[in-house]
Amino acid sequence: MPHPGLIRAALAATLAGNAATVLAQTPTEAELARRLEQLAAEVAALKAQLATLQQQRAGAAPAAAAPSAPPPGAPPAATPAVGTDAARAQPSTTLSGYAEINYNRPTRQTQNTQADLRRLVLGVQHRFDDKTKMVSEIELEHAVTSADDAGEVALEQAYIERQLNPTWAVRGGLFLMPLGLLNENHEPTAYYGVERNFVETAIIPSTWREGGVQVVGAFNNGITTQFGISTGFDLTKWDATSSEGQESPLGAVHQELAQSKARDIALFGAVNWRGIPGLLLGGGAFSGGATHGQAPSARVTLWDLHARWTPGRWDLSALYTRGTISNTATLNAPLVGNPTLIPRSFDGAYVQAAYKVWQQADYTLSPFVRWEQFNTAKSFADLGPGITPDALPNERVLTAGANFQLTPGVVVKADVQRFKQNKDNNRVNLGLGWAF
Amino acid sequence: MRGFEPVPAWAAAATCAALAPASAFAIDYLSAEQAAKLMFPQADRFESREVVLDAQALQRLDAGRMRARSARWPVRVALRGSDVLGYVVVDEVIGKFELITYAVGLTTGGAVQQVEVLSYRESHGHEIRLAAWRRQFVGKTAAAPLRVGDDIANISGATLSCTHVTDGVRRIVAVIDWARQHGGLS
Repeated sequence: MPHPGLIRAALAATLAGNAATVLAQTPTEAELARRLEQLAAEVAALKAQLATLQQQRAGAAPAAAAPSAPPPGAPPAATPAVGTDAARAQPSTTLSGYAEINYNRPTRQTQNTQADLRRLVLGVQHRFDDKTKMVSEIELEHAVTSADDAGEVALEQAYIERQLNPTWAVRGGLFLMPLGLLNENHEPTAYYGVERNFVETAIIPSTWREGGVQVVGAFNNGITTQFGISTGFDLTKWDATSSEGQESPLGAVHQELAQSKARDIALFGAVNWRGIPGLLLGGGAFSGGATHGQAPSARVTLWDLHARWTPGRWDLSALYTRGTISNTATLNAPLVGNPTLIPRSFDGAYVQAAYKVWQQADYTLSPFVRWEQFNTAKSFADLGPGITPDALPNERVLTAGANFQLTPGVVVKADVQRFKQNKDNNRVNLGLGWAF
Repeated sequence: MRGFEPVPAWAAAATCAALAPASAFAIDYLSAEQAAKLMFPQADRFESREVVLDAQALQRLDAGRMRARSARWPVRVALRGSDVLGYVVVDEVIGKFELITYAVGLTTGGAVQQVEVLSYRESHGHEIRLAAWRRQFVGKTAAAPLRVGDDIANISGATLSCTHVTDGVRRIVAVIDWARQHGGLS
């Protein structure tokens, strides 16, 4: 690509050459006028070429086209105008990412204090054409993954999306399930508190993803619908000797498209309404077989209702979710005697209020309080007297703290959590998170 | 101070080209021409102008945390006969990963008359094109905060798109306000 300096030199040479020709031949007035027109055309062509080069340079380094003010008197024409130049500069492949580093200090059991790079996620989005794109996210949990470490590498999302028309799009691959408020918006900058809420971790197993196909419709009345078919859970891997199923019944049997058993296909759907600015009302449901022909048939069903209202500086939200597993009496019969049997139902709810008390430039401080109640084993199917496990008591957690936004995309968090049942879990948390 | 420069024919042609809709993208709801006619149906023509911000104006925008981004702002002036009805500015901002193209119509007094989303390309957050959300901007001037979480309500699940479009509208309102004060748009 010729350098603009070369263009200028060529322009100067052209001018000098033409001037020399004019002097040498003492042409007629008409000839002079013709040559002047020719010269003007050449100058216009060079100007256009120079402008193209400047646009290409601006496109190659968009940051250079951005903010800084030129010195007084500098020609503003050097800065590209807004509009489609930016669109041309938009690359077809973009990188994104988010991460959270958390510090948890149980106040009654300080020996369990832990600092952890909870997760770092790198995303790549690629647009094949104007209607087709790929979205992917690769997650590394707990900083180090090896045979001796707790780390985990996983794909959070990997799907193709095709826009069919302004209303409908179809998505296929590994995608996040549209249940709850957090699962599809799980970056640390998007929620309050160092840790994700318990209801959308223990009951809705965020970050919950399945492989499948879904249709997304966005309507002018504010309704967005998502529905489709997907892989589901695998109850045949329930470990009755582990406490994992008690921490999150569905988290213990999710498959995440890792050689997923797929004989049983699940159906899911969600409807969200955002017709009034600041208000979101919605719900989602999922239901699918979960034994894949290897054990007595059983179905996992999960649904939720949620609301979020953000009037002015307030951010208020509420959610209820409930899950059930069918035929658990039959499934549990061979597991009797183990500590963790499969629950028949589990549920949870929370209400949360946050208020932006202070804002200066990009700094914002938003204290919040959240009350939640959840039960990972709300009920068990009847196995007979003395054998049927007791339902767990509802756990209630009060979380109070604040999110401090350093700049959009970077958040520092601190909070205190008080547990009603298991007070040994009381803790203070600090967190650093970012997303881009 | 140089607030507004008459532009030569070739520059006006380039400006018209810049005002044309972005080349095919995921969802093009409206072209720039359609948006302008929608905002000012009584206009019998639109003339292209270019606001050229000087260094002081750029610094003022930066100081107001509006990241001036460009010194040159193509503006469509809506006219009926010799009467100026208002202005239309087309702009693009990054939503979460991808560009959102939108147009802002302003009255001759510099107040927002209408905001239209021309193209939206993200997987989530299409709801910013809902009329109810865009109506929040109507009547806002450079004196308004024009900030999400203040006088503009957020859309849950589309926070970045809402924030960036709101920031963009605030910038356009400030650019037009500056141009009006310096006699560049009459």
